[in-house]
Amino acid sequence: MAEIRLEGVSKKYSPKDSTYAVEHLTYTIPDGDFVSLLGPSGCGKSTTLNMIAGLESVTDGSIIVDGSAVEDLEPHKRDLAFVFQDYALYPHLSVADNIAFGLKMRRMPKAEIRRRVKDAAERLELEGLLRRKPKALSGGQRQRVALARAIARRPGVLLFDEPLSNLDALLRDRTRAELKMLHADIGSTSVYVTHDQEEAMSLSDRIAVMSKGRLEQYGTPSDIYLRPATEFVAGFVGKPRMNILDGDVVERGRVRLRGTRVVVDAGTNLGDRTHVRLGLRPAECSLSTVSEADADGTVVVAEPLGNATDILVRIGGDNFIVRAAGFSDLRPGDPVRIDAAGVAVHLFDAETGDRISE
Amino acid sequence: MSSVTATRASEVGAPEHVADRSSRRNPRRRAAATVVHRAVVVLLMLYLTVPFAWMLVYSLYPGQNMRGQHMDFTPGDLTLGSYARLLSDSTFTVPIRNSLIVAAATTVLCMALGSLCAYVFARFRFRGQRVLLLSMMAVQAIPAIVLAVPLFVLLRAFGLYDSLVGMVLTYTAFILPLVIWMMVSFFESIPVNLEKAARVDGCTRLGIVRRVVLPLSGPGFAATAIFAFITAWSDFFLAKVLTSNSSPMLSVRTASFQGIFAMDYTAAATAGVITALPVLILALVAQKWIVQGITEGAVKG
Repeated sequence: MAEIRLEGVSKKYSPKDSTYAVEHLTYTIPDGDFVSLLGPSGCGKSTTLNMIAGLESVTDGSIIVDGSAVEDLEPHKRDLAFVFQDYALYPHLSVADNIAFGLKMRRMPKAEIRRRVKDAAERLELEGLLRRKPKALSGGQRQRVALARAIARRPGVLLFDEPLSNLDALLRDRTRAELKMLHADIGSTSVYVTHDQEEAMSLSDRIAVMSKGRLEQYGTPSDIYLRPATEFVAGFVGKPRMNILDGDVVERGRVRLRGTRVVVDAGTNLGDRTHVRLGLRPAECSLSTVSEADADGTVVVAEPLGNATDILVRIGGDNFIVRAAGFSDLRPGDPVRIDAAGVAVHLFDAETGDRISE
Repeated sequence: MSSVTATRASEVGAPEHVADRSSRRNPRRRAAATVVHRAVVVLLMLYLTVPFAWMLVYSLYPGQNMRGQHMDFTPGDLTLGSYARLLSDSTFTVPIRNSLIVAAATTVLCMALGSLCAYVFARFRFRGQRVLLLSMMAVQAIPAIVLAVPLFVLLRAFGLYDSLVGMVLTYTAFILPLVIWMMVSFFESIPVNLEKAARVDGCTRLGIVRRVVLPLSGPGFAATAIFAFITAWSDFFLAKVLTSNSSPMLSVRTASFQGIFAMDYTAAATAGVITALPVLILALVAQKWIVQGITEGAVKG
């Protein structure tokens, strides 16, 4: 098992580049934890994973696994296994040989290889497929072979690069649950790259949210959701997306959602700011029908989802989403008032986007 | 032209039936196109194979049957006599052996150097990469006849004139660039993630080439090797210029049946068939491999 420590890890693809692909990452992934690197495409999460794996060089900084720096070691000397988005199974080898490949490379005794292939195949229900070639397997089966190949090695660190994104929605949900059980079972430190915040939330012990090569926040799923450190994290995590709009400081410690009558308690010292960015989760707010004169905005569209309805309200020039339970009677054009009494208030500095902390 | 007009008229007349109509008309037109297509293919086949077939027929009848105004194709006269004669003649078997050695050695050298070189071009980025690759191709554009005299002088200076080693080196120089070009495209079609997986699994760069890249480019590798062999085997011009009595090559020996005053047509035809046979067999084998798609299923659907 292994603890991974990133210390000022940076990456430039070419010395001539003016910006970093990954910039000054510093955090620790505890032994046995499942950590997701979450962010939109191009945020540097896959580059970070490749640097941990040794498939990309590190420009600056250091990656320390169990106390020793590994950034100059070849990938196979780092005691890790990698699961690729496109599975990367060797097409000329059978399923059994694919699983055994890394073990053979490490010159493990034949009997031990057989035992481990059998064990990995059993865990992932591949016993009947061991003689097949990858091209005779479905996408889900290929993904299981890729997982079996990774766990057969019993590595200290398991790295995943969007392993579920090529599966269809149903299979993805099932595999996600199995992945979580697999992690609980084998206990390797796992680093998991994804752009899907739901996947990250449901799987991880901790999440590293990244944007434009930088770390936005590193914390537990509840930290990330309940106390997003930046406006970016607040907007990226949670579905539907958090409403983040301009707010004006109306009196000491109170903020009004611009263009509405919604006034919330800041619950924190706002200093001498006159305006801030105000974030409100759609599911915590509610709507009530009022006369046009008292309205904060008008309904643009209502999307029923079964268990809830997402209602898009136009206020001034901005959109505000409210998630109401069950089905809603509201119709487009209805004047409505937004009720935000007692909801969690997220305030961000209008210039830096950083959370104004309590 | 008139058919176009007719189609348009029908479209205007009954737009809702357009698809219906054209599909009813198409089968007949498609059948006609198929007939024309097949006929052209057959004609082309005949054009390409008749000379070879004629050579084969010529080699299988005794000389006197084929001489004079009235050729005699009596099946009873068919004989392998001229083959037996040639294959027991050391002035013919030695060139066969020489050509085999030279073509095989050239192939091995080209594939060993070419695949490593092509892997570097396919997977590494370095300064001058494009220039290097293009200049290799540019050298290919120079006709052999231009290089014949300098090559002759060079080989003589190194004591390699009229030697098998000299021929292997010469052919390798000519064929290697093409081998590299072909292998680069085969290697580039292999998903990079497979190589990353192999690196994580514990392969060195050379190990990746041996255990992943080469097995996956198998058909391409075989096709390229066969191309190299055929090219070296069937060259006449360089062999004519760069060899003489001590290292006679098969293509030159085969051509020598065409004497200045007399010509043994049967022997020439037989030698021609023997020379063409390996090429023919290899081409048939290579065709099977080229069609095979082995990387299917390597990555997602």
